Amino acid sequence: MAAPCGRMASRPLFRFLSRFSGICVGHTGIRHFSRASVSRTTAKSETEGERGGSPWTLMAAVCLQRLPVISADYNPMEQRFKDMLHQIELEKSVLSDHELRLLEEAERMSRKQAGDYDSDKEDDVDQEILLAQDMEDTWEQKLKSFQPAPRVRADVDKDLSSPERCLADSLVLLTEQQVGGEKMWLLPQTQWQEGETLRQTAERALASLPAAGFKVTFLGNAPCGVYKYKLPKAIRTESCVGTKVFFFKAILTDSPPPKPEKALFLWLKKNELEKYLKPAYMLKVGNFILDL
Amino acid sequence: MNPIYRKFQASVTQQLFALNQALTSCRVAPSIQHPVWCTASVNERHYRSMPTHGIGRWRHLLPRNAPKKKKEKHQMKGIFSATATSYGTLNVKVSGHDMTVVERYSQYIHNLCIRLGINVAEHYALPTKSTEVMLMQEQGTKMYVDAVLKTHERVVQLSTLNATLCPIFMDVLLKNQPEGVELSVKEHTEADFQARFKTRPELEGLISQIYQ
Repeated sequence: MAAPCGRMASRPLFRFLSRFSGICVGHTGIRHFSRASVSRTTAKSETEGERGGSPWTLMAAVCLQRLPVISADYNPMEQRFKDMLHQIELEKSVLSDHELRLLEEAERMSRKQAGDYDSDKEDDVDQEILLAQDMEDTWEQKLKSFQPAPRVRADVDKDLSSPERCLADSLVLLTEQQVGGEKMWLLPQTQWQEGETLRQTAERALASLPAAGFKVTFLGNAPCGVYKYKLPKAIRTESCVGTKVFFFKAILTDSPPPKPEKALFLWLKKNELEKYLKPAYMLKVGNFILDL
Repeated sequence: MNPIYRKFQASVTQQLFALNQALTSCRVAPSIQHPVWCTASVNERHYRSMPTHGIGRWRHLLPRNAPKKKKEKHQMKGIFSATATSYGTLNVKVSGHDMTVVERYSQYIHNLCIRLGINVAEHYALPTKSTEVMLMQEQGTKMYVDAVLKTHERVVQLSTLNATLCPIFMDVLLKNQPEGVELSVKEHTEADFQARFKTRPELEGLISQIYQ
């Protein structure tokens, strides 16, 4: 248990800086690579001695999440409160420059159209050629010609394998993998190999997925959850009592080009996960998946 | 004990003496009055020998403080470096065009850090940058100003961040990120700190003249 954790902690932190409007995260950490490799070799020599003792096989899994793209809709109570606050703010607010200008020009127009109008008596000399009202009209025209994309698309929502479904919720990736002779849906995982940190194992788990091509950012070097299970007594040997799976959190930064067929992956919301995961597994996994 | 008792006796006898004098000098109305109230008026000074001398003093109880200097020192808070189990000083920068949303989000981050037990070193704003959006005119080659966009930036500086807490913290931040707001997490450097200050060209000119 101590071996992989120690190695993981001395791993160099990578420098990431990605910028997207609305969805963006960046990580930087500075570590000299030479120093990290030295510590890694020393740790490796320790573990070779104690490797024989641990009866658990170690695996690393990735909880890959697609973050929500748009904000969720308001429920009726929130909507009413929001409207009330908006009205209060509107009533308490002061007129802006643009609104003042509108009023002045409206007043000037009404004075011009009155019978006794003397342009020499006007106080303000600078009269804009483009009136504020005209500017407003052009802006209205531009707004009408702007078509926003639809927030909810019912057909895409039903397609469980598309990462574009349910834009207001965060989705988790599930794959179907063979575990001990049984095919089941779980978070992508692979076995830990000697000489690599658990996070590298997790990255390998993602890369080894068939036709993945995801651009992914890992949120940290430390795992966020553990699931351990013992093998049935028939298969249990001295060196292999069971498996421990360590979960790492990652977020999807770039969605891959859409695959033509073969639903290999499922993108599911947290409440839909229960239908596909085993109950004991769901218990552990549900602890760290945030349903915000 | 004894000197106090003696002083008290002395004061009592003095009071009685004063009371007798007062009674003899002024014709007091036959209503019964408390002897102490008769002698003590509002503005009477406490004599130094009286036990109540200095009864209202409070300024000697305050802690002695040197007057504070307003100048911000060179490095306000030390920059922590990363250890094996935690990151060093991190800057969480929130930027966007809508000031209310940006400020509220940075306040949310600050409150979240307090709740999770993460030390917040500083929470400051960087100067607003204005961007003019210019469009080509439909008939003609001149560009005209269409809109002015202001970019507001707020920085929450965390002194340390535990490696185990980091993925949880980042996950919560990202899931609650509002639309139109950019989030970036970087390590804090000296250069970042110095970038907040304005340069003083005259001072630099004078310093260079001294050293030449």
